[in-house]
Amino acid sequence: MVTSQLQSLYQQLQKAFSVQPCQLNTCKNLLAQLKVGLVEAGLLVPQKEHNLDDLTISRDILEMGAIWSVRSKDVPSFDRYFSQLQTFYKDYSNVLPPSPQEFPIRGLNLIRLLTQNRIADFHITLEALPAEIIYTNPFLKHPVNLEQWLMEGSYSKVWAARNETPAEEYKYFVDSLMGTIRSEIASCEEAAYNSLPIKDACTLLFFSTRSELVTFAQQRGWEIDIMGEQVRFATKGEEKLEIPKRKLIASSLIYAKELEQIV
Amino acid sequence: MSKTTAKDVEMKDEESKTQEAPSTPKPVPLTPAEEIKANITLIERAVSTLEPRFTNRVLRGLTHSRRKVNEEILREVINDIYKDSPTGKSILGGLSGHVSESSTMEIDFTSTRSGQKPSTSAEPLPETEIYLRLLILYYIIDSVSNLPRKRSGNPENTKLSGDSEALHARAVAFGHATVERIRSLNRRSLDPISAKVWFALGRVYEIKGNLPDLRLLLLDAQRTASLRHDIETLATLINLILRSYLLTSSYDAASTFLSKAAYPDSSLISSTTPHGATTNGTLVTSTTQLLSNSTSSPTQLARYLYYVGRIRAIELSYTAAHNHLLQAVRRAPKAEQAPGFWQEVHKWLVVVELLMGDIPERGTFRHPVLRKALEGYFEIVKAVRTGSLSQFQNTLSTYSKAFNADKTYTFILRLRQNVIKTGIRRLSLAYSRISLREICVKLHLDSEEDAEYIVGKAIRDGVIEGRIVHERGWLECGSQSKGAYGVEVTDSFNRRVGFCMQLHNESVKAMRYPLNAHRKELAAAEGAREREKELAKEIQEGDIGDDSDLGDF
Repeated sequence: MVTSQLQSLYQQLQKAFSVQPCQLNTCKNLLAQLKVGLVEAGLLVPQKEHNLDDLTISRDILEMGAIWSVRSKDVPSFDRYFSQLQTFYKDYSNVLPPSPQEFPIRGLNLIRLLTQNRIADFHITLEALPAEIIYTNPFLKHPVNLEQWLMEGSYSKVWAARNETPAEEYKYFVDSLMGTIRSEIASCEEAAYNSLPIKDACTLLFFSTRSELVTFAQQRGWEIDIMGEQVRFATKGEEKLEIPKRKLIASSLIYAKELEQIV
Repeated sequence: MSKTTAKDVEMKDEESKTQEAPSTPKPVPLTPAEEIKANITLIERAVSTLEPRFTNRVLRGLTHSRRKVNEEILREVINDIYKDSPTGKSILGGLSGHVSESSTMEIDFTSTRSGQKPSTSAEPLPETEIYLRLLILYYIIDSVSNLPRKRSGNPENTKLSGDSEALHARAVAFGHATVERIRSLNRRSLDPISAKVWFALGRVYEIKGNLPDLRLLLLDAQRTASLRHDIETLATLINLILRSYLLTSSYDAASTFLSKAAYPDSSLISSTTPHGATTNGTLVTSTTQLLSNSTSSPTQLARYLYYVGRIRAIELSYTAAHNHLLQAVRRAPKAEQAPGFWQEVHKWLVVVELLMGDIPERGTFRHPVLRKALEGYFEIVKAVRTGSLSQFQNTLSTYSKAFNADKTYTFILRLRQNVIKTGIRRLSLAYSRISLREICVKLHLDSEEDAEYIVGKAIRDGVIEGRIVHERGWLECGSQSKGAYGVEVTDSFNRRVGFCMQLHNESVKAMRYPLNAHRKELAAAEGAREREKELAKEIQEGDIGDDSDLGDF
């Protein structure tokens, strides 16, 4: 049962959570107390039959916790909240009324997987969701599109989409995604160009000022030709082709051994 | 759902058809009742000689006997065998709808055993009992699945009518009672039959589409089976568990399960496969025949490989997925005998091959069994091959329903990048220099800016060789010849040789020798040696050959 003490804490959390701007520290303290309360009530990881209202409240608390973690940029904490919410989304899905926060949080999780470059996990998670929701729900569509663009290399679309996030919380992840994209583009440029005008390199890498590009170029070891206004990429010499002697010998020996057995 | 159901049935059909041939070409066909009795004799022989081969032969004919069985026949056989013993009654209870509690049965059994110790030969073996129970279970399943189809013709028969609802409940209860009975008997000679019972129980749940409800019990049984090295049952259970996970799309759970539960004789699975070997050539048949002698049944293995292939595909490890699916095709029965399974595996195989950047063989799409089922996939392949994004999108929207039903839709979406890559590769082969704008127009890309990034990525990923000249906005295409060619050839040669070796070794291992046959051979060898000795002696004495050989001269 949810005690009256928990109830009042829950209401406090709701208040602190909905205030603009969100009172991160108050929420943190309240969440910690609430989690202890939930554990005592056996609701944090519910296993038996529970009162529907209680379940909804604990789901609400966890959802707020997840969003709070994103707001305070604490990804591991988001991970924990999300896995705790899984029980509510999966096992209680036919008992509980659907939560309005479910898809935003699922979308956040997807985009988190993208930023961590866990593409396989991304697809596994996606595959578990019904297809028609994925392509209609704006919260899910956003990460799905991002993934597609990233994979095919339409980086400018990803860049453009950073302002079209369906919820405020997505911004945090999208921003960190930009760092990943930049290094992706950089590695593409190293392979695809001999040299680039500085101005164009700025636009391609989405830098607004030249100094940003210069520091970035130094990190990657690019040569900057100030006079010619050019960025030069170190050309890699043709890789020397070596005959894999050991491998060849080993496989020949195996053939000999097997043939011996047959004959 | 309906398709996969068909698959299960078809796969079993095959087992009976291929193996039935040698055992039934008798001049006078047996009546079903006699046949069942003959089967029971075989089972008894298997138990007494500790040779599971006979039981396996009976079980291979299961689908065959299952089709002929009806209530009267079963009743007759059971009455004949069991006369009035309580065990017989409890089995009959399942047939008429009164399933007795498993606990009472247990008592029945132990009492009969201890009471009639001296005359145990009169009491039929528990294996017989379970076999009969299995037949009854299948009989109920058949009557359930026949009912609604006749009435509505609706392929999705998840909603059952009143009668079949009751029948279904009976099947569930009887199935559970049988499983419970097997557990209480705990005899190793029961293992092959118990695998079939589990499979049947899985089917019962599947009819109503609630296989996931059975999962807890399955996991429990899987643990027991693996402790007892009950290979047949373990294989069946693992497949059922995987299937239940896939039905609820719990891929993460399925993947974890795979990493923890080892499939029996996994040495066969990790085998390397030759790339591009004919999928429906002689190789397949020889492999299947070969494996029918191996420890777990080839159909279960094929199923397992298929499930693993699907899970790997979702995890983006396409090479592993491709290996597993290819093996599944090889180990599956022939296309005509298991069309459902064949189609299903090929759909996935085509998609995975495309995702790997290969183009599936055209012959696949001309196969009579596959042609219709793979129609949409063929269109997709064409689009990927020509690298035309617009054709790809059109096909995608035309067949989206079919793809969604096959659960391959998201995979085909992943193909979009492959389409673009193929397009770029074709362009880079055809032109030595092409402007980015032209690429953009030809590939139906949204903007020139995108085209530049995409081409850059393609160069980095090694799809094409070339350089972008940004100032002039064009792509200069380099030569395609690659130095690493030699290594690749050796590698694939290695793979193929490895596969052939393994095939050879497996066939040697699978050979059976009759008992004591080597004695005869030894005797013959002894004789030969004796003769040789004599010959040597005669040669030494110099009185052989010379005269006779030169006699004609």
